[in-house]
Amino acid sequence: MLELTGLRRRYGSVIALDGLTFTVPPGQVFGFLGPNGAGKTTTMRAIFGLVALDGGEVRWRGAVVGEQARRRFGYMPEERGLYPSMPILDQLVYLGRLHDLTADAAHEAARTWLRRLGLADRASSRLDALSHGNQQRVQLAAALVHDPELLVLDEPFAGLDPGGVDEMSQILGERAGAGVTVVFSSHQLDLVEHLCEAVAIINHGRMVAQGAVTDLERGDRPRLAVRVAEDPAGDWARALDPAIAKMEGVDAGRVLIALAPGADSQLVLDAARAAGTVEHFSFESRRLSQVFRDVTGEEV
Amino acid sequence: MSRHWWQKTWLVAQRELRTRGRSRAYLVTTVILLLAVAAGVVIPAIVARGSKPERVGIVGGPAAAMTRIVTEAGRISGTKVTVVPEPGLATAESRLRSGDLSTVLVDGTEVVVKQVAFAGTGGSFPVALANLAGLTKVLGQLPQSTGPNGFALPVRGLIPPSASLTTRLTGLFTSVLLWIIIQVYGQQIAMGVAEEKQSRIVEVILATIRPIQLLVGKVLGMGLLAMLQTAATVAVFLGLGSAVGSSVVHGAAPGIVIAGAVFLIVGYAFYCTAYAAAGSLVSRQSEIGTAIVPVTLPLTLAYVLSYTVLYTNGANAFYRVLGFLPPTSPVAMPVLYAAGDVPAWQVAVSAVLLAAGTVWMTRIAATIYTRSILRTGARLRIRQVMREAAH
Repeated sequence: MLELTGLRRRYGSVIALDGLTFTVPPGQVFGFLGPNGAGKTTTMRAIFGLVALDGGEVRWRGAVVGEQARRRFGYMPEERGLYPSMPILDQLVYLGRLHDLTADAAHEAARTWLRRLGLADRASSRLDALSHGNQQRVQLAAALVHDPELLVLDEPFAGLDPGGVDEMSQILGERAGAGVTVVFSSHQLDLVEHLCEAVAIINHGRMVAQGAVTDLERGDRPRLAVRVAEDPAGDWARALDPAIAKMEGVDAGRVLIALAPGADSQLVLDAARAAGTVEHFSFESRRLSQVFRDVTGEEV
Repeated sequence: MSRHWWQKTWLVAQRELRTRGRSRAYLVTTVILLLAVAAGVVIPAIVARGSKPERVGIVGGPAAAMTRIVTEAGRISGTKVTVVPEPGLATAESRLRSGDLSTVLVDGTEVVVKQVAFAGTGGSFPVALANLAGLTKVLGQLPQSTGPNGFALPVRGLIPPSASLTTRLTGLFTSVLLWIIIQVYGQQIAMGVAEEKQSRIVEVILATIRPIQLLVGKVLGMGLLAMLQTAATVAVFLGLGSAVGSSVVHGAAPGIVIAGAVFLIVGYAFYCTAYAAAGSLVSRQSEIGTAIVPVTLPLTLAYVLSYTVLYTNGANAFYRVLGFLPPTSPVAMPVLYAAGDVPAWQVAVSAVLLAAGTVWMTRIAATIYTRSILRTGARLRIRQVMREAAH
């Protein structure tokens, strides 16, 4: 489990992290979301000790993260970083060895990943001789070569073509399946919805929403969408007891109703049936992008 | 610093050795350097073969016996000689001053030259002549107590001793080599640091090791490459030089070579971290040129002014001061020593000052490097970095 507690960091008058706290459960793909400038990159850099925190701490498996623990983490920074003129196999071996692999193990792991990513025949090519997509693949291999326990990726899907997105998604899912905790940031919320079990959304260096994707999409005030054939304007719903539910509007003949906390949805169904033939009755979930807009007040 | 600390640091050094050592640039500069040295040694030797014989005056004694001694001394030292009998010492000395004669042998008393070579080096002919003439005298007059020069006659100079031209040329060679090596490798370090910062690989690396390890590994790897290249250059200089009997090499007194080696190593240590710090201030490699100017300046000053010392008798006070200041001493002090303007103990004092300066410089440079290597954006100013807390 990765625990971030009360992270604080100020750059001059700008507050990047303002007591940020959240927990990433083990063996999950975890989405880390927020508008630009919310503090995502600063948080990720803090996990790797690349940012000196003004306060707070990062814990991994219960212990404060130190140098040794970090060598078992894998990191893909937002702005991709590898040596442009160094052969890719050599870079992967070098990074593997910096992460405590022996020379032989590093060679083996580097070759395995290059094969897996379809780059086996390019092992001795310089990084800058590869296409953009292949450079991204090497970057991913660099984060994975030492078989990390925790994988932190800053915008791993940025700039990938659809094939690349699928490949990346598959590998991240596979790693999580193998017990690795995967944390990544992204603005592509459809992808996050599809890939992640849980997310954290931050804004201005603070946590604004956190939890399982399904819970967030349902929200703390469940909404119902109901269509009664005889009453498309939804006059029946206006008469509902506010202690049970409140009508919010009409969308294409469906009445949207916010259910009061703890209220029984069946009471609403009863009222609808009394008004006519119920053609549609469902819990309405928000898309993750709607959740994002609601909690940050910003567009994705 | 644990074994593990050094293992990781050595990994960084190894990467530098592999990637730079295998690069075409390294091979090309090595070949050019070696060719330049070879040419510098061989060409003067070829020119010297066709040179005019030395005119040696003889005063007093039996002319035939003294001519034999002079001719034999010439044979031993590999110098062509012409013997010129002189009527008296006064005439001989005035002709020595005018340059008409190069050496004068006074029967059984002394060998006179215009200026005795610094520290007894260079001018192999007068030494051979003095030894031979002294031996001849002793053999004729045994038993007699031997003087401080063994069996050799004293060699007297008409003007105070200073370094010979060949010694000065060795000094020039040393200063050029030092200047080039420190500049070239310093620049490579700065470029390498900027490359890591620009490509952001530094974030991946510093997630595993500390900035100081990356810094030490880098300057260590580059330093080893620099030492290898220098050792090869000096080996060619000495090997080829002695093979062709070059007078340039003959002036390569061990003292100057040792002083050069010490100042190269400590001078590199002084400058390498400064170059790394300069490299860490920029965000793009293209900004390196202007960022390293302040680091380059002192050594270039010492190098440019070294010509004023090597080609005159007696260095000026300003250059003597440069010889003791750590930023300029790596070039200035070997030059002063080669020109015979400072005694060995002053060289040692300067080396100690440089070593102390290196400790100071490394501390400041490491602070700047550590604070700026992860900060991207506009080019950073040193004052700004030193004032602010860590990144």
